[in-house]
Amino acid sequence: MTDTALQPKVPRVSLREIFLLFLKVGLTGFGGGMAIVALTERMVVKEKQWISAEEFLHGLAFGQILGPFSLNTCTFVGYRLRGVAGGVLAASAFLLPSFIIVSLLAWLYLRFQHLPMLQKALAGTNPVVVALILAVVLDMGKKQVKGTSGWLLALLAFAAAALFKLNAALVLAIGALWAFGAALYRRRLG
Amino acid sequence: MLTLAWTYLRIGLIFFGGGYVLIPLLQHLLVEQYKWLSLREFLDGVAISQLTPGPLAMLATFTGVRVGGFMGGLVATICIFLPCVVLMLFVGRYYTRLKRIDLIGSTLDGVLPAVVGLVASAAWSLGSSLSSLRDGLILVAAFCLFRYTRVSPMLMILGAGLLGVLLP
Repeated sequence: MTDTALQPKVPRVSLREIFLLFLKVGLTGFGGGMAIVALTERMVVKEKQWISAEEFLHGLAFGQILGPFSLNTCTFVGYRLRGVAGGVLAASAFLLPSFIIVSLLAWLYLRFQHLPMLQKALAGTNPVVVALILAVVLDMGKKQVKGTSGWLLALLAFAAAALFKLNAALVLAIGALWAFGAALYRRRLG
Repeated sequence: MLTLAWTYLRIGLIFFGGGYVLIPLLQHLLVEQYKWLSLREFLDGVAISQLTPGPLAMLATFTGVRVGGFMGGLVATICIFLPCVVLMLFVGRYYTRLKRIDLIGSTLDGVLPAVVGLVASAAWSLGSSLSSLRDGLILVAAFCLFRYTRVSPMLMILGAGLLGVLLP
């Protein structure tokens, strides 16, 4: 990976085009996470050819660090095209439709929360939400938890949060510190 | 409003491992610590955030609106996404020089089991708000659908809402 491969010629794309494209992603990307990344990839790499597939993949890899990777990938692409303004604009355009929908739904929810019909509909969704979270746990557990130390960490985190009611943020911070130490240690050995 | 901004900014800063880790983080802070909303409302909020194309983090918008109206939702959304957008702008600027990516990568891999444990604890405490046999049956059926088919969560939630209205 040379610098020239990583810094290909970036076409001049107007901020308006960036805004419209990511607005479209934010409006039609139902299915969340990877579905959005796949949609963005098709639009900016294959159709518009704004950035290379390799660069897009780098953005996706870094996008896993903090926050939702769908949003991060949009920010990254916007930045590579038009700097900070492009990045902020891409992120805002992507979030805008969802922000409007959620605000509207939240407002309706708070206003009509006590209607019996809405109560019943929401009561129907509650077990589905728990089932969704459980399915995610199982899926992530299968992919991400490996070896005795992994299982031990997962169990400890679960016990700390569920049984001892420890702050989830604290548990996560300790887990990150521990993982960083382990990574540093392995690197010394390797 | 400042407490609100600070709360969401803090969550935005430690939000590794994908969107689902937000569920335990927000649940702990908003339901247990500040008591800004009930467990039931929190669950309803997760359902509502799943109805949009945005990340699950739109849950921040919902809880923000619940706590502080439209402005609350706006502040919550901006604050929760600010850290990761800033980080990505930084990465976009320097990524050819970020040689320590392997260290970041292995730290992330290492912390993921803790994320799995935390998300499981969220399922545990949210599940405690369900009690009836009917809820149990819907839970099992939905779990099987999520595991063995590729139905989108949005459709499932809409379907479950409809089912909730139709069932006695």
